[in-house]
Amino acid sequence: MGLLYGLIAVGLALIFGLMDVTNFAHGEFLMLAMYLSFFLFAFFAIDPLLSAPLVAAALFVFGAVIYLLIVRFAMRAKANAGMVQIFTTFGLAIVMRGLAQFFFTPDYRSIPQSWLGGKTISVAGIFLPEPQLVGALVSILAFVGLYFFIHRTDFGRAIEATREDPGAVALVGIDKNRVFAFGWGLGAALVGLAGAIMAVFFYIYPDVGASFALIAYVTVALGGFGSVFGAFAGGIIVGLVEAVTALVLPPSLKSVGIYAVYLLVVFIRPRGLFGSM
Amino acid sequence: MLSVREVTTAYQGLVAISAVSIEVEKGEIVCVAGANGAGKSTLLKSIAGAERPRSGTVTFDGKRLDGMAQHHITATGIAYVPENRRLFPRLSVRDNLRLGSYLYRGEANREQPLDLVFTLFPRLQERLEQRAETLSGGEQQMLAIGRALMTRPRLLMLDEPSQGIMPKLVDEIFQAVKRIRDAGMTVLIVEQRMAECLEIADRAYILQTGRVLMQGAASEIKGNPDVRKAYLGL
Repeated sequence: MGLLYGLIAVGLALIFGLMDVTNFAHGEFLMLAMYLSFFLFAFFAIDPLLSAPLVAAALFVFGAVIYLLIVRFAMRAKANAGMVQIFTTFGLAIVMRGLAQFFFTPDYRSIPQSWLGGKTISVAGIFLPEPQLVGALVSILAFVGLYFFIHRTDFGRAIEATREDPGAVALVGIDKNRVFAFGWGLGAALVGLAGAIMAVFFYIYPDVGASFALIAYVTVALGGFGSVFGAFAGGIIVGLVEAVTALVLPPSLKSVGIYAVYLLVVFIRPRGLFGSM
Repeated sequence: MLSVREVTTAYQGLVAISAVSIEVEKGEIVCVAGANGAGKSTLLKSIAGAERPRSGTVTFDGKRLDGMAQHHITATGIAYVPENRRLFPRLSVRDNLRLGSYLYRGEANREQPLDLVFTLFPRLQERLEQRAETLSGGEQQMLAIGRALMTRPRLLMLDEPSQGIMPKLVDEIFQAVKRIRDAGMTVLIVEQRMAECLEIADRAYILQTGRVLMQGAASEIKGNPDVRKAYLGL
């Protein structure tokens, strides 16, 4: 589960690191991905595992379009730019949630049977749920892919350069808006991938993003804002803490541990465990 | 090659340059000199697309540049090294140079200007793996020029390359500018240090409070008694 938290958070961290904008609609991106996965299953009987790349691709386009149509203009604000960006993405979240309520109805939905759903696998006598296991695997693959993409490709280097100084990339002929749109697309695709897998074992409803988004912010803050590796590590920590808390305290209080650890980290090391700011 | 006609650029109503016209011919080194606040940097920004002129035209080899996006202007063959250099501080020297050739495809094609860069600035080759922010001021300027050369420009524009650099290196950089011209490029350089700049330039313009005060061959301007008194302290 921690790796999935990490996957959700890494999309957030990527966008924040690239352009100092916090996407408050990140949870709604997750919600959208889960619905997409659900509808692909309900109407076309495509298993969520198969449709995951499709969902990720759709979210990529969605994220890029959101940047180009909305966020790009919010960033032009001359006064109080930070506030404008917060309200823009927060407003986007409310709109997306409202539209989901309207079109998808507030009913709880789930994908009743899939290749992975409800199955477990026994490793050395310990039973592990298959969906979570596959989710973890996919997350690790996505992280490795992302790492190589950023550090080994030209466009990855362009992303790093834009993160360093968006005003300077035009000097070498790079269009920063293209990089930003791509960053939003990539961030959305990552959370889309997480959503597609989580659709197998979570109820799907318009507000589903909120609780995960909150955990994602904690994860990102824990790992250090803007650090992709930090988000990954933060996700694992959050997942472990949650599991341990659920063992010690009543399971309904399992989030308490996460926020306690978060509070501790913020007190002792405000920039996050792996933050460099 | 480059023709700036009657360009006026203002910041929030404050006019920084007003009806400035300059010409740069292929193969020249042209120096734009003037005191602080004369509008030298604004002139380069208006050409490079970092600022949008309010009126006037900029043409480069017959192509209109004013109103074009900055990254497209870079692609037409103009490399601009701004005053504060704008390197990517936490990326290595290698990555900074590599980004310079971003618009080109194919290894041989991308690395073609490297020889020239390393001949001009051998120190960069020694510091390839170092982060740009760990370089000295002079080395950063060398890297900024190096990165600009990697875009394979026909016109190189330098904004105050001598700023914040120890005197020994200033000379090295001006010598490098001459060699860049000898390699077939055209250079437009903006400087406060007029004496050194006139030394290497073919022609010069003097800007004062946003207007062209004087223009002509560098030798002529150097010999002008008013210039000698007002700017060169002779």
